[in-house]
Amino acid sequence: MSTVTISHVTKAFGDNVVLKDFNETFRDGEFVTMLGPSGCGKTTMLRIIAGFEKPTGGELYIDDQLVSGGKTFLPPEKRGIGMVFQSYAVWPHMNVFENVAYPLRIKKQDKAAIKEAVDWVLDTVHLSRYADRLPSQLSGGQQQRVALARALVARPKLMLLDEPLSNLDAKLRESMRFEIKEIQQETGITVVYVTHDQTEAMAMSDRIFLIYNGEVQQSGTPQEIYNHPANPFVADFLGNVDFFKGEAQEGKIVFPAMGGQSVPYAGTLTGKVNVAIRPENLFFAEEGPLSGTLEKQYYLGDVDDCRVRIGDTLLRVITGGYLFSTMSVGQSVRLQIRDMMVFPDDGQLEQMLSILT
Amino acid sequence: MSNRIAEHHRAPVFTKIGLAVCFLLGLIFVFFGFRGQQKLTSADLGSEESYQAIYALSGDVNAIWNALSGDLDALSADEREAADAAARSLLAEDWERRQTGAGEKVAAFVGQENAGASSVTWKLLAASGLVNGPKVPVSLRKSITALQKDALSSFRQQLLRCLADETAPVPDPAGDALGKLSGTERRAMAAQLVLTASGGADEKVADHVKTLKKSIRDKGSQLTAFEMIARGEVSWLWQLIISNSKTVILLGFVLMLDVILLALLMASEKHWIPNIKWIIILLIIDFMLLFQVLPVFYMVAKALFPEGSFSLDTVSRLFSYPMNREALKNTLIAAFATMVLGTLIAFPLAWLVGRTNLYGKKFFRSLFVMTYMVPPYVGAMAWLRLMNPNVGSVNQWLRLLFGLSDAPGPLNVYTLPGMIWVLTSFYYPYAFITISRAMEKMDPSLEEAGRISGASPVKTIFTVTLPMMMPSLIAGALLVFIAAASCYGIPSIIGSPGNVNTVTTRIVEYVSLGQQSLNDAVGLALFLMAIALVILFISDVVLAKKQYITVSGKSVQPAIVDLRRWRVPMTVLVALFTVVMVVIPFATILATSFKVDIGKSVWAPSNFTTANWTSVFARSETLSCLKNSLIYAAVTATVGLVIACVMGYLLQRTSIRGRSIPNFLITLGSGTPSVVIALGLIMTMRGNFGINIYNTAYILIIAYLIKYLMMGMRTVVSAMSQIHVSLEESSQVSGAGWLRTMFRITGPLIFPSIAAGWFLIFIPSFYELSMTTLLYSSTTKTIGFQLYEYWTFTSQPMSCAMAFGILLIVIFLNFVLNRLTKGEFSI
Repeated sequence: MSTVTISHVTKAFGDNVVLKDFNETFRDGEFVTMLGPSGCGKTTMLRIIAGFEKPTGGELYIDDQLVSGGKTFLPPEKRGIGMVFQSYAVWPHMNVFENVAYPLRIKKQDKAAIKEAVDWVLDTVHLSRYADRLPSQLSGGQQQRVALARALVARPKLMLLDEPLSNLDAKLRESMRFEIKEIQQETGITVVYVTHDQTEAMAMSDRIFLIYNGEVQQSGTPQEIYNHPANPFVADFLGNVDFFKGEAQEGKIVFPAMGGQSVPYAGTLTGKVNVAIRPENLFFAEEGPLSGTLEKQYYLGDVDDCRVRIGDTLLRVITGGYLFSTMSVGQSVRLQIRDMMVFPDDGQLEQMLSILT
Repeated sequence: MSNRIAEHHRAPVFTKIGLAVCFLLGLIFVFFGFRGQQKLTSADLGSEESYQAIYALSGDVNAIWNALSGDLDALSADEREAADAAARSLLAEDWERRQTGAGEKVAAFVGQENAGASSVTWKLLAASGLVNGPKVPVSLRKSITALQKDALSSFRQQLLRCLADETAPVPDPAGDALGKLSGTERRAMAAQLVLTASGGADEKVADHVKTLKKSIRDKGSQLTAFEMIARGEVSWLWQLIISNSKTVILLGFVLMLDVILLALLMASEKHWIPNIKWIIILLIIDFMLLFQVLPVFYMVAKALFPEGSFSLDTVSRLFSYPMNREALKNTLIAAFATMVLGTLIAFPLAWLVGRTNLYGKKFFRSLFVMTYMVPPYVGAMAWLRLMNPNVGSVNQWLRLLFGLSDAPGPLNVYTLPGMIWVLTSFYYPYAFITISRAMEKMDPSLEEAGRISGASPVKTIFTVTLPMMMPSLIAGALLVFIAAASCYGIPSIIGSPGNVNTVTTRIVEYVSLGQQSLNDAVGLALFLMAIALVILFISDVVLAKKQYITVSGKSVQPAIVDLRRWRVPMTVLVALFTVVMVVIPFATILATSFKVDIGKSVWAPSNFTTANWTSVFARSETLSCLKNSLIYAAVTATVGLVIACVMGYLLQRTSIRGRSIPNFLITLGSGTPSVVIALGLIMTMRGNFGINIYNTAYILIIAYLIKYLMMGMRTVVSAMSQIHVSLEESSQVSGAGWLRTMFRITGPLIFPSIAAGWFLIFIPSFYELSMTTLLYSSTTKTIGFQLYEYWTFTSQPMSCAMAFGILLIVIFLNFVLNRLTKGEFSI
């Protein structure tokens, strides 16, 4: 429906630079998620798209129309965007119907048209029964739907969602995820979604932009960025990962902290490297390259969470739960690696990770 | 908790007995109180007050008698008998002459031949001689008091001989006075001189004598009381009960009421062990009931049952005076106009200062809030200096600017619009504070949602911001209304000279007219009270329910609107407003305080003087008033803060039943117009209900407490609500007891609020005027009242010096508060 082109956008509050040269295009009908830890700049970018913040430099186009940049600035009310706020921002002095009808009333549509549009959108978010209620009589989830309905009612081409599910409880959050996704697919609207919850991002997005430190670290489909992270930060942010220091040589990586044991390596890097391994990508195998002792074993039902000591290093291994009864603590085991990610060691890893934890 | 169920079955017996005993005690108090009253009437003693006066006097008379008895002993038996006989005959003549109707009784009494007769005669003589004796010339009085102790004693003895025998030699300083007289006059003068020489000239005795004189004139039968005391016919316990019968009755009733309340609380909680918290709650309730509820009910009764039966005479009489109708009309118009004007000023200001990128908004903000703490009458004085029709500076400038003639005007502050202007300039901060607090707490995304829905900024203000602000806006407006309607300082300084009366000035005037017009004052006070109650109800009950909770979980940083090209003009506008509303008035006060001739500029030749300052602050009266104010305010603030902390704890940390009753009463008290509080206290605290604190500092402190307690309470309560219980619980888990937790954890955490609460009570009590005007006595004048007197009766420059002095003290206190709370609080 709508494209968003962000061209060299920067934003600074005083000396504090929050966005550094943001350069992306969100495609028509795409569900795009900006993902990152709090303070990374994702909300600022969203607010620049909405028109609540002006970029310090660069240009922003919606459907090839320049909306922010240079001397041009189109105020939010002229951008024709729908937006859902983290706090819902449902007006307490209006009932559900009035809240949702507001954008249409501003457009001075006639009563019948408003009624029809509001009925349609309230039906879409399953709130038809609550049209006369005041927000104070609704639950958090229902208020969330009111906000969603209000964002959708004017049938915008672009909808922005700013951590819309973060104030809901876990169950509701999960069901709302699919509802939002479904509505997006039905309407074909372009959605820009901001969250710090990686599961949410993975479940809903066509494309994820992982933002950190005011920069896009990586963009791609959920699979791409989960399986092929561009850097240790991305690897660490999405899912569980453990880092091990190693030495890349001809055809193998040697781990000094694992008593010099090594694993085969077919990549191009040489010298000092950081090897990132997800615990679910390690498994017990007779002919595995690493050998050690099973030190701890936690039964979690669906999986078995183990710790294996190799030299001075403790490795986390998540395997199928059926193994629990067949193995015992203290037993010697061999480990095979299903997949691993190798990054050159620039000495910044600890610092980067410490920010996340 | 575990033993609670066990005791639940056992305790009621003990509790019932305990409650019954307490209730019975109350009943006994009431019974004996009424018996005491009966004794008063059956002995034809009239009222308890006169009994008390006589009772108190007897002490002084005894003192005189003690001083005299040595001299009597020094006389020979014959001489003593002769002196006693002379005293007796003097007394009999005196009673007969006064024709009090008690002559017979007294004659019989005097004629009694018992052992104590002589001393009784002398005591009576001492009293009556002081009451109606011939005047001792001042010069003679002086020379008598100048005598040495030994000389004085022999002087008295010789005088006693003169009393007994007309031929006895006259002692020295009395020669002239006695020499010319003969017969009864001579004897009376001699007796009078004896008494003067015995310490009768003591001022304290003289005060009591005045009371006695009045009682004797009013009712001869009261002499019986004196007779009874003099003869010691009443036991000390009965004396105590009779002289305090009303207090005893009151105590009994309060005790009974407390027992009933306690029983109700216990029953509602099904917890039959008396809890110390309930006792505290009951004590606070008792205090508020006695000093706040009782006076109001008494006033209602007085107004509606003036002669003991229901009648609307008072009301209809009140409204038949055009002046009163005028005052009512003025009050309503002034309050309404101030409300509208104040809100119209406050809303844009609050928005500009709170929600835009105006230059220097922090500075403006604290300046506007500061005005809140300035005594209103100081502002009134300033505007009076500025807009006086003849010599007001603004008028002089305007005349110069437009080349107008020398005639008065064009502006005249002594009018209703003038008063409204001054009221507005002092009460808009009330609305400003309420509105800006709500505005800054508002979740910015609510407005952003409006923008993204397609509404322009202006449209958003009208469809989102303003409707959501409405409850706070109305609350702020009502606050201004009631403050303006119950203000006394401004109408008395600005309205009264121009014959623009308001309800408050009429009330004070009625009170000053004396007992008879108190009923009229009460009628007007009730009118004011009714308005206040309606407004209190609207803002605390109706609006509280409509208050939207707009605070989101996120950090609330209100969105700042970029004024763009309006930024400079708007800043200039606000600065101009500040100059007119704040700078010019205070500069005027300061300038006037250095002037010789207030009609001329302070820079005019030889018009600058510091004499006003030095003479005002060199006067011991100013200093003693300042001392009074500081002491009363400090006591009020300290007592108030203890209650505030107790209430904060009860409201925030317990769920005990009945804790909201004192809260309600305290809120009601602060909503009551000052004049009404003061009038109620005047009418009920002069002994007619068993408490006599009239003309004392207590009555002032109690009035301040009722009015300002809530300011402190709210601060402490909101501070406690912000400290999560877990902070205290983790201290207790760490092994600290309750007391230690309070002192080590809760106390330090809420200390800034405690300090703020203390100052919030202290500052308004320090410069209070409305209540003080009605409640002060010659020994309990405060600085606010002293300033008012200076302004009205002495000199304007001097009062300006005093006003600026008060202002400096308030600013200094504010600075101290700011420092104490590390900048977290200032007013």
